[in-house]
Amino acid sequence: MLDIGGLHKRFGSRTALEDVTFAVRPGEVFGFVGSNGAGKTTTMRIVLGVLSADGGEVRWQGTAIDAEARRRIGYMPEERGLYPKMKVGEQLAYLARLHGMPAADATAAVRRWTERLGVAERVNDEVQKLSLGNQQRVQLCAALVHDPEILVLDEPFSGLDPTAVEVMSAVLRDKADEGVPVVFSSHQLDLVERLCDRVGIIAAGRMVAVGTVSELRSGGVERIDVVGPPPDWARDLAGVRIVAQEGARTRLELDGATDQDVLKAALAAGPVHEFAPYRPPLTELYRDVVSGGVP
Amino acid sequence: MNGGLSAGQAVGLVAKREFSTQVRSKSFAIGIVISLVIFGIYALIFQFIGDETSSDSLGVTPAAQPVVPALQQAAAASGRTLTITDVSASEGAAQVQAGDLDALLDRGAGWTLTGQDAVGSELQTLLSTVVRQSTLDQALQAAGQNPATVAASGTVTVTTLEPEDPERGQRLALAIVTSVLLFMSLIGYGSAVAQGVVEEKSSRVVELLLSTIKPIHLLAGKVLGLGAVGLLQLLILGAIGVVVGSVTGLLSAPSAAAGALVAAVIWYLLGFFLYASVYAAAGSMVSRQEELQSLVAPIMFPLLLPFIFAVSVLPGDPRNTLGTVLSFVPFFSPTLMPARQALGVAPWWQVLIAIVLTLATIVAVVAVAARIYRNSVLRTGARVSWAEALRG
Repeated sequence: MLDIGGLHKRFGSRTALEDVTFAVRPGEVFGFVGSNGAGKTTTMRIVLGVLSADGGEVRWQGTAIDAEARRRIGYMPEERGLYPKMKVGEQLAYLARLHGMPAADATAAVRRWTERLGVAERVNDEVQKLSLGNQQRVQLCAALVHDPEILVLDEPFSGLDPTAVEVMSAVLRDKADEGVPVVFSSHQLDLVERLCDRVGIIAAGRMVAVGTVSELRSGGVERIDVVGPPPDWARDLAGVRIVAQEGARTRLELDGATDQDVLKAALAAGPVHEFAPYRPPLTELYRDVVSGGVP
Repeated sequence: MNGGLSAGQAVGLVAKREFSTQVRSKSFAIGIVISLVIFGIYALIFQFIGDETSSDSLGVTPAAQPVVPALQQAAAASGRTLTITDVSASEGAAQVQAGDLDALLDRGAGWTLTGQDAVGSELQTLLSTVVRQSTLDQALQAAGQNPATVAASGTVTVTTLEPEDPERGQRLALAIVTSVLLFMSLIGYGSAVAQGVVEEKSSRVVELLLSTIKPIHLLAGKVLGLGAVGLLQLLILGAIGVVVGSVTGLLSAPSAAAGALVAAVIWYLLGFFLYASVYAAAGSMVSRQEELQSLVAPIMFPLLLPFIFAVSVLPGDPRNTLGTVLSFVPFFSPTLMPARQALGVAPWWQVLIAIVLTLATIVAVVAVAARIYRNSVLRTGARVSWAEALRG
């Protein structure tokens, strides 16, 4: 398990991280979301040891993470970077070796990952000759080529075309299924919701929510969508609040009443075609959480 | 499946990449060719200037004929080429005017030497001496003395306390070539280190590298790798120089050349580690190649100053006191001391002291440079301030 415990970081007078704590379990894809400047990149850099924390610590399998353990992390920095004039294959082999892989294994790993990510025919080209999308694929190869035990990816999906997004998603899922904890940051919340087992939301350097998407939902008030009864049927209903009314659809927030009370009232008012609890998407949960609403 | 990575392995991997990337690059081969061309042009110019100043064409009128044998003898003795043409006074004047003759020697009431707008000082001296001598000889004969006896009793015999160095000319050339080679290698590969550091910063690859190896290992690997490339280039140029020199007969003292090459290698290594650390620290403080120039320009001065001194003052005055003193100053030693060694005026204990001083300076400079590098290499955007770069 990758434990991030009570990280603090200040840059001059600005507090970048304040008591950032979460854990990523083996086999789990963890989505790390938050607005720009919230502290995602700073947290990841501290995990990789590229930046040092002012307080708190990162633990891997119960012990404080050291250089040797960090070498087994696959990392994709927010600022993409490869040697522009170095050939793709040589560069990946070099990076694999810098992570402690023997030469022969490195060569095999380069072949395996460039094939998997669809850049195998470009291994003898300089990186700068590749399109941005392909450079991005090579960058992911760089994070995976040394067969990491942990994956930490900063915005891995930004700048990818839909096909590449699919490939990348599948790769992350596969790595998680191998038992690797995978943590990545993204602004594409629908993608995070679809791909991640758990989500952590950071705002202004503090973790404001951590959990599965349904756990995040369960903290909120219960809402019900009803389709069918004529408009205004619920206006005088006790123990509910109307959140939205759109055509035949009414969204209610329960405030004392139970879902059965609402169903009875709805059936009394007219035919009911749909009756379902409303599951707010991550986008909505995120907005509520970040804007200071209680999760 | 991944084994550990020792500090040595990390540095080795980085150094190997730097070495193979640089040696395979076009700039490596081009650098060697350009160096050879520069040396070739330099040698040709040297030869040309030597030829031009040591040969004269002189017109001699019938009245001046009697001194011709003495003139030819004196010219041969001083190693000058003197072409003598018999002309009439008017023809001679016309040819001097046209530039076909350097000067015209005539004898009327007295001796006259006519040039177009000036007469070369060496030709003047030669003619004055010969004419004065022949006049004196005639006077002596008229007085019943034997000029040869008089001359013998008035000859100064030159001796030196230490045996004269038959390889002095060679040593001069070697000293200049050594200085030029070292100057070019230190500037060239020092700035290659700075550029390499900036390349990793500007391409952002440095964050990926530093997520697996320590900054000091990345720095050490880069300096060692590029230093090895510079050494290889130095050895290639040195070998070409020795071979070409021996084959053409220009180099008649291979032992002096080998000694100079060994000294050059030692001082290259010392100078490179000293300057490369400074260059690397400078490179880490900026984010783009364009910003680098203003920061590395001052590093040129401690290289340029002793270099100019070595090629301009030392050849004429090898035991120059200022040169001797400066050759002990750490940042100046790498270009000055080898020049003094090539000239044969640096005793071994002086060389040893300079080496020890330089090594001590390297230790201090590397410590500061490594700190600056560690503090600056991950910072992008504006130039890193000195306060931030040097902190803790």
